Amino acid sequence: MTSVLNDRVLRSDRSLQRFDDIRDLLPGPDNPTPMVRVSRILPATGLDVFLKLEWLNPFGSIKDRAAAYLLSGLIERGELGDRELVEASSGNTAIALAALAALDGVKLTVTIPDGVPEEKKIQLRMLGAEVWPTPDDLCPVDNPKDGAIALARSLAASDGGNRYVMPNQYENPDNVKAHYETTGPEIWNQTEGNVEYFLAGFGTTGTLTGTGRYLKERNPDVKVIAIEPEKGHRLPGLKSFQEAKQPGILDWDVIDEVIRVDDEPAYAMTKRLYREEGLMVGPSTGAIVHAASLIDAERGVAVGVSPDSGLKYTEFFADVLGDEGTPQI
Amino acid sequence: MTIDNQPIAATDTLDCSGLLCPLPVYKAALALGKLEAGDILELITTDPGALEDIPAMARQRGDTLLSTDDNGTTQVFYLEKGAA
Repeated sequence: MTSVLNDRVLRSDRSLQRFDDIRDLLPGPDNPTPMVRVSRILPATGLDVFLKLEWLNPFGSIKDRAAAYLLSGLIERGELGDRELVEASSGNTAIALAALAALDGVKLTVTIPDGVPEEKKIQLRMLGAEVWPTPDDLCPVDNPKDGAIALARSLAASDGGNRYVMPNQYENPDNVKAHYETTGPEIWNQTEGNVEYFLAGFGTTGTLTGTGRYLKERNPDVKVIAIEPEKGHRLPGLKSFQEAKQPGILDWDVIDEVIRVDDEPAYAMTKRLYREEGLMVGPSTGAIVHAASLIDAERGVAVGVSPDSGLKYTEFFADVLGDEGTPQI
Repeated sequence: MTIDNQPIAATDTLDCSGLLCPLPVYKAALALGKLEAGDILELITTDPGALEDIPAMARQRGDTLLSTDDNGTTQVFYLEKGAA
């Protein structure tokens, strides 16, 4: 599609950052998301810590990568046909998938954990998705804390599997492939091959497995650090495998260390990132930067993922702030 | 349907035939949520897993499972919505 201005056809031109289709903005080695040094909180006197700002992706999070690969994989293998999509997601994958599915005229149903912020559910409904809020303990008998995943699976399997297909980001190798082919090469290029530590949170584990595998193939000495919240945490997007089932795509061989982070230091660091770095990030980024601050290294380059922005987490931040920033009379 | 020879009149019926657990649990909880305390939901399922899940759901929610009928392929539950 082209637009016309003053009788001239303005064609897509990456050098001018002018595009015909929002999907042209999806990230990859030729269009990497920016990396910014955490230069005030963690001064570059020893370990240089960079954040990769995934919230600058077109649909607002790192999940743009997985969603694009999951959908194109289903279409290319002929597995979608005329069926609808159903996916379990804490929001970000679903938002990217909903946007991409809408562009292809495909309907999406999302099973989403009850505790996910209302902002994400509304964004999904704005994109035309059907949203099914799901309690973690939905299955009263066999009760891992993954009610949304169980519900999506049952939707996909019901009625002979004729109505829905589930991309299943927790089990689908396309999730890993997305990060192996994009996030990994981007970080390698952006650090000019100097990355020594890579940090990302436990979730679907596609980012850790795919990026970690790529970086270790380039340099086996790269340390891949997984950030895990504590049981009963309030860090949306992250999963504790002390209470949630481990995804099938998780490859422990690429993970060197797991750092467990409590809610309090994660939110405290998120607040500092807002105020001292001008980085308006979600709480999972706070957890990742807190973990980076614990790395015992005198020098080197660390890259942490900043999965999404703080704009979707106002309910959580309101709890953290209390009456801070209001008139104290 | 009768209990102690007294007929039970369902306030609403939910047919979850062909749906696998936990989908019937999810839909039953939604349907019960729309009823008043004391109302009765007739729930039809075809997944044998419902024989464990539905009684557990009723206990968890504070509803009363009045009766269960299983003919090997179809299960019919009568659930009375609790006060909570």
